[in-house]
Amino acid sequence: MTEGVEDGRGFRVVVVGGGSAGWIAACRIAAAHEDASVTLIESPTTPPIGVGEGTWPTMRNTLARIGIAEADFIREADAALKQGARFVGWTHGGEDAYYHPLNPPIGAGEVDLASRWVDGGGGNTSFADCVDFQASLCDAGLAPKKITSPQFSGIANYAYHLDAGKFAELLRRHGTERLGVRHIRQDVTTVDQAENGDITALHLADGSLQAGDLFVDCSGFKGLLIGGVYGVGLRDRSDVLFADRALALQVPYDTPDAPITCHTVSTAQSAGWIWDIGLWSRRGIGHVYSSAHISDDEAERQLRAYVGPQAEGLTARRLTINAGQRRIFWQNNCVAVGLSAGFLEPLEASSLMLVEVAVDAIADRLPRTPAAMRVAARQFNAAFDHHWERVVEFLKLHYVLTRRTDSDFWRDNVAATSVPDGLADRLELWRAHPPGPADFPHAPEVFGWPSYQYVLHGMDFETRYAEFAPPARHAKADRLIARAAGMKAEAARALPRHRELLRAIRDHGLQAV
Amino acid sequence: MSAVVPLSVQRHAGLRLSPRPGGGAMRYALLGLSELPLAVADFPVCLAKDGQTGRFDLIALLSLTEPRNLFRIEGHWQSTYLPEGARLAPFRLSAHSDLGLAVDEAGDGWATDGEPLFAEGRPSPALAAVRPALEALVADVDAARAMIARFAALDLIRAMTVVLGRGDGEEALEGLYTLDPEGLATLADADVLDLYRCGFLSAASLMSASLAQVERLRQLHNATSSVPFDRAEVDLP
Repeated sequence: MTEGVEDGRGFRVVVVGGGSAGWIAACRIAAAHEDASVTLIESPTTPPIGVGEGTWPTMRNTLARIGIAEADFIREADAALKQGARFVGWTHGGEDAYYHPLNPPIGAGEVDLASRWVDGGGGNTSFADCVDFQASLCDAGLAPKKITSPQFSGIANYAYHLDAGKFAELLRRHGTERLGVRHIRQDVTTVDQAENGDITALHLADGSLQAGDLFVDCSGFKGLLIGGVYGVGLRDRSDVLFADRALALQVPYDTPDAPITCHTVSTAQSAGWIWDIGLWSRRGIGHVYSSAHISDDEAERQLRAYVGPQAEGLTARRLTINAGQRRIFWQNNCVAVGLSAGFLEPLEASSLMLVEVAVDAIADRLPRTPAAMRVAARQFNAAFDHHWERVVEFLKLHYVLTRRTDSDFWRDNVAATSVPDGLADRLELWRAHPPGPADFPHAPEVFGWPSYQYVLHGMDFETRYAEFAPPARHAKADRLIARAAGMKAEAARALPRHRELLRAIRDHGLQAV
Repeated sequence: MSAVVPLSVQRHAGLRLSPRPGGGAMRYALLGLSELPLAVADFPVCLAKDGQTGRFDLIALLSLTEPRNLFRIEGHWQSTYLPEGARLAPFRLSAHSDLGLAVDEAGDGWATDGEPLFAEGRPSPALAAVRPALEALVADVDAARAMIARFAALDLIRAMTVVLGRGDGEEALEGLYTLDPEGLATLADADVLDLYRCGFLSAASLMSASLAQVERLRQLHNATSSVPFDRAEVDLP
């Protein structure tokens, strides 16, 4: 860092990479720090990966902070609303299915409903149906909000499905036209470093020099700066998460008026799983699989069998997954965000979420002095070691609870050697006591106890809660369960079908209040 | 119940327009921009969202918690101003009729002692005036929407709640919006001048002041209800 920035004025942020991670980083930092200059350098030769199609509800905050209206986002990123995920065939390999909705259980934090549900409090209803109304909206194809709901606000919690290429393009326009982000299309050739190892400037292919104080590496899998300059390697996680390949198809709707599924559908296969994501104008469908357990050809055959006749004539895009994360995320004045920080199979849409959490941490306290940056980097690295570990564990949870024994892939997934110690420990605890806030003390915690409860009970995890829960709490739990049932009926009356809502939003926009 | 059908001489030869305008079940009346100064003499004038588009309309609030027009008492409107939207409520513009109109057959705007719509198979003078009035109202409502869009662009619109108290209990009327007094007070000079030139600044003042009429709604409610409210207040978060 040069002397001129010691007083924090004229701080220069340089983002390398023009995919959705790079543009989210550039826009968020520029929107939060008018006094800083933000430059984004995009390679004209390396296209963005652009497969991230599922988000978390956090994306609503990110858009609001960047200053993009929700209706503009829905129109321009081909976006649809997402109320969670439905997992099919994960437990028994058949028609068995469960929801992981985005709403927490009703009365979250007041009284634990898991013990009551385990004890038969919900009758024959599934856990998600017993403790909340959102699964019923998903089943009925209803949206989580109305046309009269303000932007970024719903009756039920929601996230988005989006076209990552179109989203990056929207962010680029917004960033360059409204937020003053400078956009340079050049390859980075070499890097100048100070004696202490800080990057001082990037040399670009046209011979120009781009100096900066903080460099955000969003260059994708190759990690141009974090890997290329600092030699920080990946921590391989393929011993826990076996999927190493993906095949992606863009599938048109049968008819222009076909219903748009308002959740992600993840259907287990013999050696992986198929994602099915509804956008406004098409579906994104892909197969994530382990090449040690299935051939590429067989994987593609399973994908095409899932899609049916609609897949004819479509070419599948092939992607490689190196499950793992960087050993260090923030080194000197360079921080890796997005695929350059790591990648895990998109089972719970954690990729863009981790970008948002990283960019929040960077933008909320953009460290202006070398001393502040050293501490910020240390805090950031500790936080993201934790986040990645917890994401790995939560993804593994979906596999480790399976009862499937129909293929090596599922048998290998429950082998004790493939289960992280932290997860194995907590599973022991959760046999006796439901996951609760005490299990997740980190703030923010990316996957909280409601997510764990939805997956555990969705997959028939055997517990002894009924033995230990004081019956005195039943009355309150029963009242909450009855209220959830009432909300189900009310929501079914009030909420529109998903495609109808998207059409109305595209036609009329959404109000800010 | 609403039963809107295209107007035709054959079907509606015997229909007579009541001399006492209906709207007994109206919760609010849509207002055109030119009606605002007249309507604030009687009603709280605020904003509500259209259920199909989510867009704001200018409305005169006629009711509290029940779907009952408090200004229509024993079959008669008791207000100094009758909104055009209420006066013309039995009619709609329609492309499916030679006369360009549809009628709400099941509405309360008809009466046996009223003026016939047709005389010897031809539209009566009263009917002939309806279509131009509806067209003028549509244009006037569009003008109100243009003003509201300007307010929205300046981030001046806020949700409001009418809180109705009875003893220790409270009921809340939601889904209504008004202008943010603080936002109005801190507008940039250029925006103040612009709004003033458009006539929107005085409109904003009228709207804000009219919220005091919520007390009038409470009085009308109490005059005819066995469960009166002790207080009615407008809450702006």
